[in-house]
Amino acid sequence: MAGTIIIEFPSDYKYLNLVDLACGEVISGLCAGHNAANEIAISVIEAVTNAIEHGNCQCPDENVRVVFSCKPDRLCVEVADCGKGFDFECYIRNMPDPTNIQHLRGRGIYIMKNLMDSVDFEMVPGKGMKVKLEKLLQPKDSDDGRKD
Amino acid sequence: MRIESRERDGVTILDLQGKLMGGSDAEAFKVAIHKLLDKGRKRVIVNLHGVDWINSTGVGILISGYTTMRRSGGDIRLLHVSDKIRSILYVTKLNTIFMCFESEDEAVASFADD
Repeated sequence: MAGTIIIEFPSDYKYLNLVDLACGEVISGLCAGHNAANEIAISVIEAVTNAIEHGNCQCPDENVRVVFSCKPDRLCVEVADCGKGFDFECYIRNMPDPTNIQHLRGRGIYIMKNLMDSVDFEMVPGKGMKVKLEKLLQPKDSDDGRKD
Repeated sequence: MRIESRERDGVTILDLQGKLMGGSDAEAFKVAIHKLLDKGRKRVIVNLHGVDWINSTGVGILISGYTTMRRSGGDIRLLHVSDKIRSILYVTKLNTIFMCFESEDEAVASFADD
């Protein structure tokens, strides 16, 4: 399957259901194994959660836009919010240790970076923040592509 | 998220239903844990069978319950961890923190060894 699928919704956690369903539908049409499918869904949910919570500050008037671009050998997902953005280079340099159980938050980007093949951030002045996730696809029978 | 509590052989089992994420879920879980501590219940199994999915905030909620229980001399163990939840625990290396079980019998019996 090749093509682009776009969903856009208000900044409300209830739409995570929609995102989860959309992920499932998109991934089912791709050459992705079970683990890769889970890793994509987890990462997209993390990115959307961040967009709702930190990007749009849960403001229902601000939308989150998710664009799935399906290519023969990869899936690219862009998650865009309308927020002010953040210094992602600084954040990534000082990313909290995920194993530290004193930290209850702050694992989302770490999870995305470890489950996807590429994670990039783009600040669009006046428009918001965009997270670009990319996963290389492998035949279903050659699962598991997990990175340790 | 819905939380129901039941007892078995001196162990409390919290059956979670729905989605485990931020907001009201965190408060609901925190209240449930503190209610158990008030009753002196320190052996807790969190049954994730009914949890559709979880995000990193949901993992934080579990960690919060775990640290609260451990500080009070208790423990939280996980039951029926789905592939998605397992992936999150694995990638964050929190699988080394939580004891996970596939069967309720084994999870309950694990407390007998303490």
